[in-house]
Amino acid sequence: MHISADMLFWIQQKRWLLIALAIGAILYFFVPHPQSLGQDGYHILIIILMTLILILKEPIPLPAIALQLIFWQVIIGGSTANEVGGYFMNDAVFFIMGSLMLAVAIVSQGLDKRLALGIIRLTGNKTWRIVAGFTAISAILSSFVGPHMVTAMMLPVALTLIRYTSKKGQSNTGLIAALLFSIAYGATIGSIGTPSGGGRNVIMMNYWAEFGSGSLSYIEWMKMVYPMVLIEIPITTFIILKTFPPELKVLDTAVRHLSVEVAHAGKMSWKEISSLGLFAAVLYGWIALSEVYGLGSIALMGIFLYLTFGLVSWKELSRGVNWGVILLFGATISIGVQMKNTGGAAWLAEGSVNFLQNLIPNIDTLRAVVSVGLSGVLSNLLSSSATVAVVGPVVLNLGGDPILLGLASVISSAFGYFTAVAAPACTIIYSSGLVKAPDFLRAGWKMAIMSVISLALVALVWWPLFQ
Amino acid sequence: MVATIMTNKKVLFDPKSLKFLTAVSSAEYSKPTLKMGALIASVFDASHGVVYVGERASEFHGSSVNLTRQNLDNWNIIHPGLEVLEWALQELKTLSPDNEELAKIQFNPDHVYEEDGRVRVILPDDKGCRIELVLREGELVDQLRKEIQLEGYDLAIIGGSQNKRHLAHSILQYLPSSIFVLQKFNPRKKYKLLLLVDDSTATGKTIEWGALIAEKLGWPVRTLTVSKTKRFGAGYQGAADKAKAYFDSRGIEVEQFFLTGDPVRTFVEFAGDNHFVIMGASTLNPVKQFLFGSKPIKTLEQTDVPILIVR
Repeated sequence: MHISADMLFWIQQKRWLLIALAIGAILYFFVPHPQSLGQDGYHILIIILMTLILILKEPIPLPAIALQLIFWQVIIGGSTANEVGGYFMNDAVFFIMGSLMLAVAIVSQGLDKRLALGIIRLTGNKTWRIVAGFTAISAILSSFVGPHMVTAMMLPVALTLIRYTSKKGQSNTGLIAALLFSIAYGATIGSIGTPSGGGRNVIMMNYWAEFGSGSLSYIEWMKMVYPMVLIEIPITTFIILKTFPPELKVLDTAVRHLSVEVAHAGKMSWKEISSLGLFAAVLYGWIALSEVYGLGSIALMGIFLYLTFGLVSWKELSRGVNWGVILLFGATISIGVQMKNTGGAAWLAEGSVNFLQNLIPNIDTLRAVVSVGLSGVLSNLLSSSATVAVVGPVVLNLGGDPILLGLASVISSAFGYFTAVAAPACTIIYSSGLVKAPDFLRAGWKMAIMSVISLALVALVWWPLFQ
Repeated sequence: MVATIMTNKKVLFDPKSLKFLTAVSSAEYSKPTLKMGALIASVFDASHGVVYVGERASEFHGSSVNLTRQNLDNWNIIHPGLEVLEWALQELKTLSPDNEELAKIQFNPDHVYEEDGRVRVILPDDKGCRIELVLREGELVDQLRKEIQLEGYDLAIIGGSQNKRHLAHSILQYLPSSIFVLQKFNPRKKYKLLLLVDDSTATGKTIEWGALIAEKLGWPVRTLTVSKTKRFGAGYQGAADKAKAYFDSRGIEVEQFFLTGDPVRTFVEFAGDNHFVIMGASTLNPVKQFLFGSKPIKTLEQTDVPILIVR
């Protein structure tokens, strides 16, 4: 058979798809399922393995990965199409859809200029105070609205400061990295603070409800997790300033320029006031009403109002939202539920515990290590939400307190500091072209150690107070 | 005469209709590449495309990155790739101070057009300048291949890469044009053209490109024919004779060398650091090239001089 260069190129580009399919086929046809795991559970794990390879290497578009998850579940996973469809849309997916839309609606209002002015008034022109201010504001805002929206609003502020600081022949790499990482890491550490801080938080809440593992209200979540955010803010600032020492101690010229630039925004318009008011209402709904109506429905209600009042157009929303991501989360959650239903999650959990119990005899410590280790490592390779969608059912089958283990898993899935792909905030600052991949490693390992210690501290000292 | 045969045949390419593509990555690293690209395009009177290929964000966070970029537009902060293209245009103007048409072109980051998975900068006064500025995101070889196929470029000009071994294979196998890799290229250095001549079908084009470059840049020309054994067969000898005759017919002086040994090692040793190598693309089938490599791939992997692979 003659293989042309075009065919060879296609094979080269799609090699990870072919590898995933080959592994899947070998496991399906030639490797019998373990005796302790049923056939359907085994097939679901094969589908998950293939999907992890595809998500990691992205040889095909994200929506295509979602579609293969759906049809494989029906063809080899022992589920009916209606079963898969039934788990496909739920509050977590509504929330992810709503929060992506809210980000577009709010960012398009231009409120970031006001935010910039507020930060500068708060911090003054000293570099370390600006870095501390960026970290704190990013963390706090991100805990309520999610890191992608905060980073989208904060990045222009940082880049404007960088632009007015840069002089020809002068290297400001330390300052640039300090400003950008204060946003990315600030937004990332904040995203665990409340359920609305990230899609993964809501995915875990959804799993708790689906698996009958209990529940946490918005306020209860905050009470348990927010102290960790508050501990991490100053330490993150310290790590960033030590890792990337800024060349300039004061940014007076840049701050003056920024103030002039944002001052042109004038008084707040009716549109901006309405937009803020609506968002405050959504936030209130999340805090006070989410136990009854769910976070997703409230987010969608907010979007309905934004559209109704003409604060954002459907065209802007549909252009700004990656529908493939929504499709993928629907599909990933549906397979997560199937993993639980077919016993695949329990088998994996038991296998991990058995494998490690000689190394870590204490069962509580072992469960914590599996939960944190699995989530922390995977989140640096996949996105944090995908990590929780896949790891969540396993963690909830480890035994022990599913709420605490689930929280530990969600929190550690935010430890994606090492690479630009793990967290949206890291991807966004990387896309500016001003920080390089090794910069994430330079600061990331320190952030990871700090975060693990903070989590251990909160889990051992704070969480027992709620039991 | 061989030269007559070559000149009487249908011309392998028409220099007037050539399209060259230069890939740039940053103002810091791409200056020599762009300079050589501009020089070659101007001496050949070819139209010149400049493409920036940036990394594409993971699709997971693609919408967050796009949202941020839209917001950055409101702050008049442009895409880093557009900044590089703006620099490239400025460099092209500096390199061609007499080009009045080019001088008129103004870069406007708002005047961009998204099409076919790429962003093209709309240049309002580009009549007569034949310049394209394009931004793409994704894997380098994939994007260059798409750009070459879309616009029908004849030559892709690429800077030397840190990751040369890995890229050499993909670039030479999958880019459907001639390829000029500017490794350790010094624009101030006076190079000698070194044409690798053998009995392969690509030798004819190699000679034609070599003659054109020698005429335009005035660089001295050497041809090198390498045989694995001491005996040079009729094919090798004939190809070398054809080359000599062709250069003679165009009034270009040429030095001929015949060496014995492993072809790739001999090319690399002979090229040293002061030659500009021109060789034909491999005619091996793609699978064999993929598995075992080819002379051009191995030469590109092992040498550090600028190299033009003619397809």
